[in-house]
Amino acid sequence: MGKKKSAVLIILFTIVLAGVLFLSITPTFPVKSPYSFRSLLSIVDLGKDLDGGYYTVYYPEGVISKAEYETLKAEYDYVLENTEEGQTPSVDNPEENYKPYKGLYLSTDIYSEETGVTAEFKEEFEQAYRVVKARYEARGLTDYAVRLQDDYTIRAEIPRLALSDSDSESLAQDLFTKFAYSGGLVFTDASSATASGTVEMEGTSEYIKGASTVDAGDSGYAVVIKFTKAGRAKFKEITGTLASSSSSDSSSSSGATLNIYMGDELLMGASVSEEMDQGSVYITGNYTRESAETMAVVINSAIAENDIIDLTFQSPEYYSVDPSMGEYAAVTVAAVIGVLVLAMLIFSIVKFKGMGLAHLYGFLTYALAVIACISLISVIQITMGGVLAILLASAIMVSCNYYAFNNIKKEFATGKTLTASVKSGYKKSLAFTIDLHAILLIAGLALYLIATGPVKMMGLVFTLCIALSAFCTLLVTRFCLYIWMAQPRNKIAFVGFKREETEDE
Amino acid sequence: MNNIPVKKRLFICLAISLVLIIAGAFLLGFLGFNPDRDTKDRVSLQVTDNGYMAIDPDFRDSLRSFCETKISAGGFSVTDVAYASESSGGSGSLEFVLDGASEEKLASFVGELDAALSSAQYGEGTENAGTYKELSGVSVTYHTSGYVLHTEVIWRAAVAAGVAAVLLLAYVAIRFKVGMGVTSLVAAVHDVLLTLGVIALVRIPVGMSLVCVAVFALLLSVFLNLKVFGKMRKDLLLEDRKELSAEQAVALSVKESRKGIFVADILVASAVVILAIAGLFVGFDMFSFMLGALVAILVANYSALVLSPAIYTLIKEKSDANRAKRAKYNYASEKAKKKNAKSEDKVPAAETGEAQS
Repeated sequence: MGKKKSAVLIILFTIVLAGVLFLSITPTFPVKSPYSFRSLLSIVDLGKDLDGGYYTVYYPEGVISKAEYETLKAEYDYVLENTEEGQTPSVDNPEENYKPYKGLYLSTDIYSEETGVTAEFKEEFEQAYRVVKARYEARGLTDYAVRLQDDYTIRAEIPRLALSDSDSESLAQDLFTKFAYSGGLVFTDASSATASGTVEMEGTSEYIKGASTVDAGDSGYAVVIKFTKAGRAKFKEITGTLASSSSSDSSSSSGATLNIYMGDELLMGASVSEEMDQGSVYITGNYTRESAETMAVVINSAIAENDIIDLTFQSPEYYSVDPSMGEYAAVTVAAVIGVLVLAMLIFSIVKFKGMGLAHLYGFLTYALAVIACISLISVIQITMGGVLAILLASAIMVSCNYYAFNNIKKEFATGKTLTASVKSGYKKSLAFTIDLHAILLIAGLALYLIATGPVKMMGLVFTLCIALSAFCTLLVTRFCLYIWMAQPRNKIAFVGFKREETEDE
Repeated sequence: MNNIPVKKRLFICLAISLVLIIAGAFLLGFLGFNPDRDTKDRVSLQVTDNGYMAIDPDFRDSLRSFCETKISAGGFSVTDVAYASESSGGSGSLEFVLDGASEEKLASFVGELDAALSSAQYGEGTENAGTYKELSGVSVTYHTSGYVLHTEVIWRAAVAAGVAAVLLLAYVAIRFKVGMGVTSLVAAVHDVLLTLGVIALVRIPVGMSLVCVAVFALLLSVFLNLKVFGKMRKDLLLEDRKELSAEQAVALSVKESRKGIFVADILVASAVVILAIAGLFVGFDMFSFMLGALVAILVANYSALVLSPAIYTLIKEKSDANRAKRAKYNYASEKAKKKNAKSEDKVPAAETGEAQS
């Protein structure tokens, strides 16, 4: 390669790297009110351990918190004060209706201090607890916790599901609320869950295979409910009945609407004008990917008859919580990795001279590509497991580059020219580099495809990082070495090699 | 260690590993892992208010320190304090996690703290002076909660790790040697189990992220073992290495790959150690997580440099012996073949001799 061409390439490469570096790591600053510049690193989605999350406590019917009890008591006392003597207050006395139990107050319908909690309530709560726990497990969040609190409430913790506070809060509220849905799935034309309709199909395993999510293009995401053979026939039958009733009675608008309820909650309502013979039904409603996944999990959890919750839960209040690894955990991790990368790059240049410079370009390309991937791919959420995966993949990339450089050095020591040494050194390290990356890529993919939760995310991050490491080791670093070596006059000194001169006799 | 015969070395390695794994498993069976802050069954005291804590951080700090003093005076030990703000309504809550508090004692203490908050003054001499109760309607309660194991996450991670290990065996067996594949598989399983065993044994506090540490141990084990086997694969093809015994050839390759292993170690371990130290200041959970990762690094090194070479030496010795046996057999058959060929050569020579005469 000519010197001019190489200089142009180096300048272009440097400008691009500097630009992407600026976009990736610059701290947030205001641009034009009300906008501010946010770097790629600042929009990385972090898990509960690094960025905090939300928690809620589910109170089943008949169970209230101390704060709620105190509110009821204050209300009763106020009403009592304003009630004339001899008259009964318009509100019930909470002292008569609720009894303290640990940090809670239980209704006297389900609890008495002598006999304890009724067996029926215990059984229903255990069933509800099992199902709610299974819903959180099935949602595949990177980090979550479900705890049994004070024996009869459920405390659930989840990570932030979006970058902005408002989106994150609304998604958390949506998830907490939907995971508390009770009752089974019903397809009916009734205008409310309690009313009876002309047609009805229960969403049990007899009729429903399962629910999943699908990208619905402009209208966001949709939830797909797939029918069994019997379900398809039943759905055809009820839609046929609805279509014929709507055509015979044009004045009735409700007769042609098919509603899908889960317990008392309306999931969707759609007008039916013709008999529908189809294997699945799509529920749309401006769902985001997260909210659609939540809905699919709730539907799947209600298909098995044993998994239907009979208890109803109060609409939960939710609280934001700090990161479990510490308030400044994410900043600390980023700063430590940044300093170590800098130290490693300086060491590389000192040790390998020109080859270290090529490594700097290769590694920066890798690091920036990793930052771009983890910040722009929306499904990725970084937890401490993800941090370990990035660290390991980075060490593998550095290790493979050093291995290639050492091979070049060894080849040069055999008396070959520098160009031949580079070619031969890379050739010698090619098989090992490919094998190492291939097996780790396979292992990462297996983890991503089979595991769930934090391990799935760790597998995804590792797979991405290993793929980028292979690309940057085998192509970018080598290309950079090639263009850098076109520059100096004394190429051998540039890469820090020495060749003993033999005098002609 | 290199002076010890390979069989003895392997026996010592496996004995050490087995003792640690079994001891860890016993401790795990009896006590479980040492749970971290997130996974501990907890008894906590919760102070909630109507939102004043969210508006006035000074009030929150004052309330926190007042409660902490009262809780300590009540004979309880606070291990952690977490502040949470209600996203929908704005009320705040301070949760004091207590160590070893009995429920009965706590139930009576809740009333005492409530009474103290009703009488203690905040902001005396200022416009907004008043008792904590008057200013923010604080309410005190206590909770007990038990952690629930993420069984789905654990068993699916175990299945995924198992599948990854089998794929590793297949890949290394095809691309390297069958013996190396078997050794990598044994090393990977050993590393994961030993990491978990040591973490259980030295009582490092762990939570759900322990699964990630186990996966990290697996991936690191694959990386370091392949680094050694990569060098070995290349070296064993060299003419001068073919002359050496299996033990010598393996030992030489391991010695030469040590530098590369240490470089990789330094890269990962330096980040892990610094993050562990930072964790002491930022959050103890980060410290304990990184300590777990450090155990994984040490175990993977031990297995790549000591255990795997010992296993592979034995496998190689066996396979070399088998090959020699086969070669010996072939040599005999070759002799017979040569004899046959010679006798066949004599016949046409005799025939040609006859023809000439």
